Amino acid sequence: MKEKKRTTAFLARPGVQTFISSLLCIILGLFIGFIALLIINPGGAVKGILNVIQNFMYYPSQAVRIKYFGQTLVKAAPLVMCSLSVLFAYKVGLFNIGAAGQYVVGAGASLYCALALHMPWYICLLAAIAAGALLGALSGLLKAYRNVNEVISCIMLNWISLYAVNTLLGQVKEAASPYTKSLSSTNKSALLPNMGLNVIFKDDYVTLAIPLVIVVAVLIYIVLEKTRLGYELQATGANKAAAKYAGMRENRNLILTMAISGGLAGMGAALLYLTGFEQWSVTQSSLPGMGFNGIAAAFLGGLSPIGSIFSSYFIQHITSGGAYVDKTMYAAQISDFISSLIIYLCGFVLFFRHFMAGMVEAREAKKAKGSGSGAASETDGDSSSDKKGGEA
Amino acid sequence: MLLLVQYTLVFASVLTLVALGGCFSEHSGVINIGLEGIMVIGALGGALAMKFMPPGTPAPLILLLVTLAAALAGMLYSLLLAVAAINFKADQTLVGTAMNLLGTAAATVFVKAMNTARDVSNVSATIEYIEQKKALLIVDGTEFNWFMVITVIVLIGAYVVLYKTRFGLRLMACGEHPQAADSVGINVYRMRYAGVLISGALGGLGGIVYITAGVSAWRFEYGVAGFGFLALAVMIFGQWKPLHIALAALLFGLFRALSNVYSGFDVLASLPIPSAVYNMLPYIVSLIVLTFTSQKSRAPKAEGIPYDKGLR
Amino acid sequence: MENYAVEMLHITKKFPGIIANDDITLQLRKGEIHALLGENGAGKSTLMSVLFGLYRPEEGEIRMNGQKVEIRDPNDANDLGIGMVHQHFKLVECFTVLDNIIMGVEPTRGPFLNKGEAREKVLALSQKYGLLVDPDALVEDITVGMQQRTEILKMLYRDNDILIFDEPTAVLTPQEISELMQIMKNLAAEGKSILFISHKLAEIMTVADRCTVLRKGRYIGTVETKDTTAEELSAMMVGRQVNFSVDKKDITPGEVVLDVSHMTVASRLHKNDAVRDVSFQVRRGEIVCIAGIDGNGQTELVYGLSGLEPLKSGNIVLCGTDITHAPIRKRSSMGMSHIPEDRHKHGLVLDYTLEDNLVLQRYYEPEFTGKGGFLRRANIRAYAERLIEQYDVRSGQGPVTIARSMSGGNQQKAIVAREIDKDPELLIAVQPTRGLDVGAIEYIHSQIVTQRDAGKAVLLVSLELDEVMNVSDRILVMYEGEIVGEFDPKKVTVEELGLYMAGARRKEAAR
Repeated sequence: MKEKKRTTAFLARPGVQTFISSLLCIILGLFIGFIALLIINPGGAVKGILNVIQNFMYYPSQAVRIKYFGQTLVKAAPLVMCSLSVLFAYKVGLFNIGAAGQYVVGAGASLYCALALHMPWYICLLAAIAAGALLGALSGLLKAYRNVNEVISCIMLNWISLYAVNTLLGQVKEAASPYTKSLSSTNKSALLPNMGLNVIFKDDYVTLAIPLVIVVAVLIYIVLEKTRLGYELQATGANKAAAKYAGMRENRNLILTMAISGGLAGMGAALLYLTGFEQWSVTQSSLPGMGFNGIAAAFLGGLSPIGSIFSSYFIQHITSGGAYVDKTMYAAQISDFISSLIIYLCGFVLFFRHFMAGMVEAREAKKAKGSGSGAASETDGDSSSDKKGGEA
Repeated sequence: MLLLVQYTLVFASVLTLVALGGCFSEHSGVINIGLEGIMVIGALGGALAMKFMPPGTPAPLILLLVTLAAALAGMLYSLLLAVAAINFKADQTLVGTAMNLLGTAAATVFVKAMNTARDVSNVSATIEYIEQKKALLIVDGTEFNWFMVITVIVLIGAYVVLYKTRFGLRLMACGEHPQAADSVGINVYRMRYAGVLISGALGGLGGIVYITAGVSAWRFEYGVAGFGFLALAVMIFGQWKPLHIALAALLFGLFRALSNVYSGFDVLASLPIPSAVYNMLPYIVSLIVLTFTSQKSRAPKAEGIPYDKGLR
Repeated sequence: MENYAVEMLHITKKFPGIIANDDITLQLRKGEIHALLGENGAGKSTLMSVLFGLYRPEEGEIRMNGQKVEIRDPNDANDLGIGMVHQHFKLVECFTVLDNIIMGVEPTRGPFLNKGEAREKVLALSQKYGLLVDPDALVEDITVGMQQRTEILKMLYRDNDILIFDEPTAVLTPQEISELMQIMKNLAAEGKSILFISHKLAEIMTVADRCTVLRKGRYIGTVETKDTTAEELSAMMVGRQVNFSVDKKDITPGEVVLDVSHMTVASRLHKNDAVRDVSFQVRRGEIVCIAGIDGNGQTELVYGLSGLEPLKSGNIVLCGTDITHAPIRKRSSMGMSHIPEDRHKHGLVLDYTLEDNLVLQRYYEPEFTGKGGFLRRANIRAYAERLIEQYDVRSGQGPVTIARSMSGGNQQKAIVAREIDKDPELLIAVQPTRGLDVGAIEYIHSQIVTQRDAGKAVLLVSLELDEVMNVSDRILVMYEGEIVGEFDPKKVTVEELGLYMAGARRKEAAR
């Protein structure tokens, strides 16, 4: 009896419910992905899905594993930033689908500063943040003063940014390829410092970016939950009219939110491109998936900044894992497929949580019935009527 | 010049079809951000129909089957939105975004698997339909295709259905004031399903028109390059009204066509404007247009709000 | 055996933790007007939802013309000829009157709508019952009274015989109310049976033949209105004698706190100005009440005063300082408190906790925000606990209760506590008792009077004439954005006020 009570209380905690819901999304997403593999080619399905889940564990050697673990982290860092960007805006009632475009201009600004202007890394990083923030602020401005839905304006800006950055970085590309020049040969000072992490991971791409991302996530958590700014921004998000009534400057808050959100995404791009891990292709005609995966990570992490560290890692983990599937049977996009399925399933999280809350309630009701005493059933009646009120 | 007209009409057809799709969905009260993904899946359905069409099939039959396949594929795919948004009251923006990503990923995985199954060395995500596409053209060697005619029919049909039939009246009531609709015995859930499924069919149809515009093969990794979103802008600019939407689509189609054919105009080609600017043009134009029209835009009142029978 | 159009016998409907209807019986005679009286939460809407098949009762049955019927959903109710004018109209605003009337039962010719036929039927019905509405006007363009007539036509178009009116007079002018009463009598004379849900005793006494009273989910009784009095009905409804008048001692108003001159505010809804050249003053120790029918500029007047909307012209002076262009925060810190009209839209952040809502106007003060912009949570908690204690705000989990889960009365108490505890110079209270039960109304009235007695200036905006007459020291009547009269509540009758509120009379107000 006592044991049971503890599990009930445990399940009733919102954090736990979010975690379980997210887990459910992951499991369902992987399962549907597995079914897809089965349909495409039954022979390799088990191995295929294991490849996706294992990622770097595919390699038998410890040393190689840690190197590729490091590389997964390198790519997870910008994803965390993008998911923080989406999450921050969402907490303030805005859907920042423009993280992709803000990421693009962040990449453009940081690489241009590094390659054309030969700036040191911290200037490049700041430039990326500024560029993302400006783009985000533009969407915020349009929403605040021209009533343009931020989703639509962000999408338009995504494409405009892509073509603009392609043009801009066309000036610093290698002569023979569509890729931008490499940082290590052009401007070493723009590379993010390794801080000794390269020794641990035996990989030069592992840099300051990894710890920095965690610091930023914690900062975002503090801003949202502990400060006056967070109080104001979330009040604006939850009820714009009430925020105005309370004397908050709701339009400023809106623009500020989008600027912070854009800055986060822009910074994310710098944290990837300033490691030298990737070069920008100036002929790319589709937006990098990072911004969109950020949406997945934000929701999968239960819209918590700390949660998004883990969810981002997970999504990057399976995305990288996609590279290991047998190309003669499956497309590497199977991991995009799985992660987009997971985003889709995140739409049901609320339903999952309601379902769980219902289960907890039913169990409590049953327990109360079991005990049978009049007093117990009366308290039960009270508590469930409170719940009812909570939903109305 | 003729080329510009052709492309303008082709792209305007795509935008009209997809925006009308969005219009039906939103009039029923569901925001359909997932049109982009629906277009991809519709395009896939149509492309597959063309690919597996036996040689010698009469042209009208090809046209019919391709149209049906694309519409059906889009419609089935839109069920994902309908179920999530209507039955499970999910965040419609989130689900739509997921559908956009899923559409491209699923189509790519599927086409690659199909290509690889036929020829192990072929890991591309491309479907070709050079011969079959000819059946879709009105005048061979141009881009004037029968889809333009279909678009006009759909446009007139959409107008009549929305404003002259019982279904249209009820559909719009669900997007404006679902409680009112419910109180007179209209099944809001069913009407919203209808709205979303129609948007799926039209979005899917728009997808196939898009990937047959000027090309005879499609790499599905590319998706549809934001056309679904442009269509949403067209819909807003067209104020959720079919005829206005058609006019808006023509305008946007013109700008999109410019990026395809500007090099054919000596004047434009000689200007020191990078091609990227032409690529950006439709998006810039739509952003500007939205900036000046959104202030007084009048979206269906209940759009985006899940309907809960319990809360009256 | 008597012939009843509808009988609801021994209806019991339970929700988890609460019995909403406990053995309630309601019998509606053919051709009568039957009032259903009860406070908010007495179980009136639950009972009507049972009649409409929205809820299935645990016990009891419904009979029509003596036959037992099953009503599973609103369509069943429709088929049985039961129609309802809801308190919040169920009209699609961008549709025409005609479209709204035919919606759900549209006549068609082939696949197309046949509106010609429908229009003729609607015109015939409006002639027969004196319901004048233009069938081709858009609902958003017509008056509230016309919208209500549209709702009535909706029922008549469906040939409903049992007509339910849910609080139909709340939104009408006194003149429109008397028109509605006449319409209801016409309908009853034509053989329609009418159920009239209300808590306004005077109207019930005027129009109803019989009255059934509910209290806290229980059936109290059914009486013939000609055999009873308003006082008796009121005692049945509340369960005790209600003190309708508010105890107030006489105070001579002091210095001017709020001085408004020539204020004009543009409307968001139409091209005309919502507030036109309005001037008035509020002094210390007086309650000035703005009376008027909903939608005559009171909302915009308050928006202009509080800074939610800019003024087109005119000046506002608060305690000697011109605040015409001051931001909202400035006005608030200068001593303006504002209990807003819509507690869900403006008054509360529903997803925030009670404590966070209680500091909504003060969170930025050093007491609650420390160095570096960090919130001082301990202080917020202590402050919230004090207000909760002092103003008796009840909630499930105290300061950490999510505001959304609280009852309307307690939400309003929280707002009142927050605004009064700011120790304002000027308290603006807009419909502070809307939708509350008698106990909460008495409490809030006493709080407002206490503020006045403490030498504060109070501006009360109310649509309820009872409230206007009982609480205020001075009445200003607003009609179409202008102040059309100023009155002493002791020297004016409700009827006279009504004429001014409806625009039938006007005099130059003291400026």
